[in-house]
Amino acid sequence: MGDPRTPRAPFAPWDRRELPGKFDVEETARRVGNYKWIEMRLFEALGGWVATVPELDVKLRLGTHCYHHAWHAELWHKRLPELREMNQDRLTLPANDAVVTFMDAVTEPGDLEQTIEKLVGVYRVLIPHKIAAYTYHLNNTSSITDAPTMRSLRFAIADEIEDWRDGEMLLQSLLRDEGDVQRAATHQAKLETLIMKAGGITGPGSIGDAYDIGEGR
Amino acid sequence: MKKLLQPDELARDARFSRVDMAERFNDKRTVNRDVDGEPGISSRNQRRLSPDTPGASDAARSLMHGIFVGEIQALEGAGRTCWDFEVGAGEDKVPFELKLDMARQCWDESRHCEISIKLSEWMGTELGEFGESAFLFQAACNADPVLRLTGVNRALEGLAIDVFNTMREFGKVAGDPVLEFCEDWMLADEVTHVKMGSDWLRRLTEDNPERRERALEFQRVVDKLFSLGGARGENDDSPIKLARRFRELAGFTNEEVDEIAGLAKEAAEELAARQAS
Amino acid sequence: MAKVTVDPTEFHYVKFDADTIAQLVGEVADLVGLPADALININIDESTPLGRTVLTSTDPITLSIEGGAFENAKAPRELSERSVRDVASRLLFRVSDRLSGRFDDAPPEGEVPLPHNVAWDVHSVGRSARAGINVSKPRRLYHFRNRHGFNDVADAAFETLWNADQLSWAELDALVTEVAAAKTPA
Repeated sequence: MGDPRTPRAPFAPWDRRELPGKFDVEETARRVGNYKWIEMRLFEALGGWVATVPELDVKLRLGTHCYHHAWHAELWHKRLPELREMNQDRLTLPANDAVVTFMDAVTEPGDLEQTIEKLVGVYRVLIPHKIAAYTYHLNNTSSITDAPTMRSLRFAIADEIEDWRDGEMLLQSLLRDEGDVQRAATHQAKLETLIMKAGGITGPGSIGDAYDIGEGR
Repeated sequence: MKKLLQPDELARDARFSRVDMAERFNDKRTVNRDVDGEPGISSRNQRRLSPDTPGASDAARSLMHGIFVGEIQALEGAGRTCWDFEVGAGEDKVPFELKLDMARQCWDESRHCEISIKLSEWMGTELGEFGESAFLFQAACNADPVLRLTGVNRALEGLAIDVFNTMREFGKVAGDPVLEFCEDWMLADEVTHVKMGSDWLRRLTEDNPERRERALEFQRVVDKLFSLGGARGENDDSPIKLARRFRELAGFTNEEVDEIAGLAKEAAEELAARQAS
Repeated sequence: MAKVTVDPTEFHYVKFDADTIAQLVGEVADLVGLPADALININIDESTPLGRTVLTSTDPITLSIEGGAFENAKAPRELSERSVRDVASRLLFRVSDRLSGRFDDAPPEGEVPLPHNVAWDVHSVGRSARAGINVSKPRRLYHFRNRHGFNDVADAAFETLWNADQLSWAELDALVTEVAAAKTPA
């Protein structure tokens, strides 16, 4: 080994982390508060649905997923004070009224014949939108200043993808005829319209703006 | 989705059959055969499970199925607590952290259901082979979250400690490695759940002794119901023996366990009197 | 079909029907291969939900049944036709064994040791399954393991008992002795 006092680059050649990020502290806290609100509504609904779903395999997966989303809510709850929001309740909010309308529609099915609608809402609409917003956040925040949020995002995304796969497969197994497919599609379209109007789970800009090509381009 | 679901609304597939608990309690046959001079002890469950008795494996299968449906109801109870109550400070609200604990319990109970299903298969039991009584879920129907938590986490989960310990012992004596392994793991979770209930009861009623007393009274009522007409008790021969050591680990005092033992005796006597009349 | 009598003819504690039980047992007796002129008495103690079943006599054939043995586990006090077939076939195969001469050296009923009883039941229930009666092999295996041990020797003995069509008492006794030697002390 050479002289340990030989100067080295503080960022190794393979370390591509950058300053700045797209979000300041305030915007990050706002998004994190939105995340916590959504995760809470989701785990509450999954817990409530457990008793209303007759399909045993679905019942048990909902019970498991309920905890995943509660844990995400806890991660966001703990992150808020680190983002200068000491009163977590102040930012534990929906992004806008349209998000509330969307979540009300997602959690509305309560009858035992509505397992398809329950799963469509969570696994074909809500969770894909959460994965999108979390991924956008992860890829656009500063990998130096906001590393703690990124760590939580990665944990959450890993769960979301696993849960999405579980839920999507359960749903596929429940679609037994054209009527079922139509039911699923109709409900998905209804919810997709609502979340589109909300602009995503954190409102407009949840996943940035793909049409923003910059001036002169 | 509505709030405060009732036991008859629990969703099940066609394999499951609901049994009316009142009918079972009023079944005249259960006191016709007093054994060892213990009236009121159900003759179906009159002795501690032992592999030496001819019907032991069927009794174990039946009890295991009861555990399985109990786990489903415990899962449903914890899940409904996530849904039924808003976060806040009022008596009809709950702290955020309590909801997180209930969500964690959902995961644990889901795993217990999965374990129970695998175990039932191992024991040669078909899902839904035995009737399901929803009396365990009754404890999860209280509109006061503290009373509900006390009923579910201290009474229902307390019963689970006693039953799992009984089954674990049976597995050990029978040399059934799978049964003993599964019950051991589930027992660990139940101790956690009971401790959770004990901690929340203390925290939520710290400044409200009247509410605490109401919760403990509710627990007494539920514990008497869960004494199963005296099937649970302190005697070595009790079909379900009070697991004093594990209950202490879970936050019960000696006096509280004594009280449950007393309630079990009362339950046996009341059942005998009701059926004799 | 064998002539089956059921006592009592009317039930008060449970919702059983004597004619249905007689019909089911008669059909099972045919499947087991008992003579068409066989007389079978079924004595039911309806006052208990326990499920003990005893072959009281082979001449006349008499089965003593505690009510729980015929009860529907999903619905208390209701009759389970599946349970009637299951119990009747198990006991009637034992009758058939005792009448065959192959079990002449077996102890009388009531004196058959529990390990042998359990093994004999497996032998009977295996034949019930092949006769087309809806029985549960996993349930019987678990019962056998509880009695004879959770090990490969016990499992192999179970398969032998289940698949055999005409064991003798000596063969059954040899299997029980073999598994007893392999059983890990509890």
